[in-house]
Amino acid sequence: MIEVRGLTKRYHEVRAVDSLDFTVRRGEVTGFLGPNGAGKSTTMRMILGLDAPTSGTATIDGRPAAAHPAPLRAVGALLDAGALLPSRSARHHLLALAAGNGIPRRRVQEVLDVVGLGSAARRAAGTYSLGMKQRLGIAAALLGDPPVLVLDEPLNGLDPEGIVWMRRLLRGLAAEGRAVMVSSHLMNEVERTVDHLVVIGRGRLIADTSMAAFIAAHSSPREVVVRSPRAEVFASRLAAEGAAVRRGDDAQSLVVTGLTAPVVGALAAARGIELHELAPRRPSLEHAFMELTQDSAEYAATAGTGADKETF
Amino acid sequence: MSDTSVTTRRPLADRTLPGPQERGRATFLHSLHAEWIKLRTMRSTLWVALGTLVAGVGLAALNGASAGGEHATLAPADQAVFDPLGTALKGYMLAQVTLALLGGLVITAEYGSRTIVPTLTAVPHRSRVLAAKGAVLAVAAYAVGVATMLAGFAAGQSALAGAGAPHVQLSDPESLRAVFGGALYLTLAALLGLAVGTLVRSTTATVTTMFATLLIVPAFGPALPGPLADWAAVYWPPTAGGQIVTGYRDPALLDPWPGLGVLALCVAVLLTAAFLTFRRRDA
Ligand SMILES: Nc1ncnc2c1ncn2[C@@H]1O[C@H](COP(=O)(O)OP(=O)(O)OP(=O)(O)O)[C@@H](O)[C@H]1O
Ligand SMILES: [Mg+2]
Repeated sequence: MIEVRGLTKRYHEVRAVDSLDFTVRRGEVTGFLGPNGAGKSTTMRMILGLDAPTSGTATIDGRPAAAHPAPLRAVGALLDAGALLPSRSARHHLLALAAGNGIPRRRVQEVLDVVGLGSAARRAAGTYSLGMKQRLGIAAALLGDPPVLVLDEPLNGLDPEGIVWMRRLLRGLAAEGRAVMVSSHLMNEVERTVDHLVVIGRGRLIADTSMAAFIAAHSSPREVVVRSPRAEVFASRLAAEGAAVRRGDDAQSLVVTGLTAPVVGALAAARGIELHELAPRRPSLEHAFMELTQDSAEYAATAGTGADKETF
Repeated sequence: MSDTSVTTRRPLADRTLPGPQERGRATFLHSLHAEWIKLRTMRSTLWVALGTLVAGVGLAALNGASAGGEHATLAPADQAVFDPLGTALKGYMLAQVTLALLGGLVITAEYGSRTIVPTLTAVPHRSRVLAAKGAVLAVAAYAVGVATMLAGFAAGQSALAGAGAPHVQLSDPESLRAVFGGALYLTLAALLGLAVGTLVRSTTATVTTMFATLLIVPAFGPALPGPLADWAAVYWPPTAGGQIVTGYRDPALLDPWPGLGVLALCVAVLLTAAFLTFRRRDA
C-alpha cells in the first residue's frame, strides 16, 4: 500500500506537487492521471525516495521507501525505461540491481523470461527498441517480487501485442494482491486496465475515485447517434418530442440528447423512417478526463488545426 | 511473448504475498557486489586499464632510453641528481589521468545514462552506494596501478641499462616505496576523479577538471605569481603526492610519504564533500 500525505514539492516558485493526499491499495491497479506537467513523475520520484519532498510524506507499507531493509523487495519501479548504459547487456543491468538487494541470480533469468526478453538478454541494452526497453524496465521492477509497483507510463513504445500483454500483466499483478500504481496518457487503455483513479492537475488532487464513478460523474449527458437518409425530417420529429438534436459527422447523421436509444428507435418505427444506425454513445474515460482537466491542463494546445474536439 | 506471469484473478483474502520485512536485508556487501558488476561491465573500464598500462610502460621505456642516452653528456652536478627511479616511473603522469577518468566515469556514466535512477531505487542508501563505488574503484585502481608501476619500472630500468646509464633494482627499498607507493598515488587519483565526478555529475566537466588539476597546474605552476608558484611547487596536492615516485630528494620539496599524505588529505576532503552532496541531492 502506498500512502501519500500532504506531499509537496516546490521547484523555486513552482509547486510541482501541491499537498497531495491519496492511497494506492493492494489488489487494485490505480491509474495516476493528469495532463503533461501535472506532477505525476515528480510524485512517483518522491514515493520512491529519489527526490526529497519539500513537505509531506509518502510511505510504502508503512515506511518510507528508503527505510525498507531490501527496497527492491518492497517496491518495484519503472520510471525511465531509457535509463540504461548502452554498452551493458540487459542481463548485467539486472544482475547489478539484483546484487544490490541480495536477490539471487536465477531471479534475473526468471524476470527476463516473464517479459519475453530471455533470448535478447545478452545483447547490449543500447541496441534495444523502445518497447524492449520498457519490457526490461518491467523486468527490473519485478526483480524483488515486490508487493507494490510504481510504473511511470509503462505503455509508451509498446506495440499492440505489447499493450495487451501489459494490460494482462498489470491485472495479474493486482489479482495477486499487489498494489499497482501506473501513470499513462492512453485513456482507452487505462479504462480497460484500471480499477481506481487518482487524477491530478497542476500538482493538486482533482479526483480520487473508482473508474466507474469517475466516468459517471464527469461525462456529458447520454447521447445517441442516429443515421438516416431522412435525417432532416427525423430531426424535426425528435425535436418535437423534446430532444436536443445536432448534426453529426455528415448530412445523414444526428446526435440526440435527452431521449434514450429505445425511444428514438420506437419513434422512427412509428413514423416509418428508415434508420441505418442507432447507437447510444458509451461514456468514455477520455471524455470524462478531458472535461475534468480542461481547466488544469498546463500545456494545452490552442484550438485551430481543424481537429474535431470530439474524437471518438 | 510470454504470459507466464499473468495469473487469474483471485480474491484478495487469498493472497499469500510475504511482507517485505520477512525477507532478506540489503547490506554494504551487496552493494560492493553490485558496483563490482557495474564496473566490470562498463566498456570504458577495459580501455582505461589497457590505456593505463600502455601509457605507463611506453613512457617509461621512452624516458629511460632518452634520459639514459643523455646521461653520459650531463655535467657532473646533473649526474649527481640523476634519478633512474623517477625516470622509469614517469608513466604515472598519464596513468593518473586515465585512472582519474575511470574514477569519474564510475559516477558520471550513471548520471549520463540516467541509470542513477534505478541504482538509487534499488539502494536508496546514498552513502552506501558511493562508499561501495569508492571501495570497488580503489581496489581496481590499485591493481591496475601496481601492474602499471611494475611494468613501467621493468621497462624503464632495462632501457636505462641498455643505454649504459645508472639504474636501480626493484629490491631496493626506495624502489619498492616508489612502485607500491606510486600505485597508491594512482588509487588516490582515481578517488579524486570519483569525488569530482560526484560533485559535477558531467563526464566532460570531470575530464577537464582532472586535466587541469593533474597536468596543467603542475606544469604551469611556475608561471603563477611568485609566492603562489612557490606554494604550488611544494604543496599542490598532485605535485606533493608525486614525490612518492622519485628517487632523488629535493630538500626544498616534501618527502615522499608526507607528500602523498597531502594528496590523501585533499582527496579525503573532496570525498567528504562528495558524500554530503550526494546524500542531499535529488536523484
Ligand atoms: N528538476 C526539476 N526542476 C525544476 N522543475 C521541475 C523539475 N522536475 C519537474 N519540474 C517541473 O515540475 C512539474 C511537474 O513535472 P512532472 O515531470 O512531474 O510532470 P508529469 O505529470 O510527469 O508530466 P508528463 O505527463 O509530461 O510526464 C513541471 O512543471 C516540471 O517542469
Ligand atoms: Mg512524467
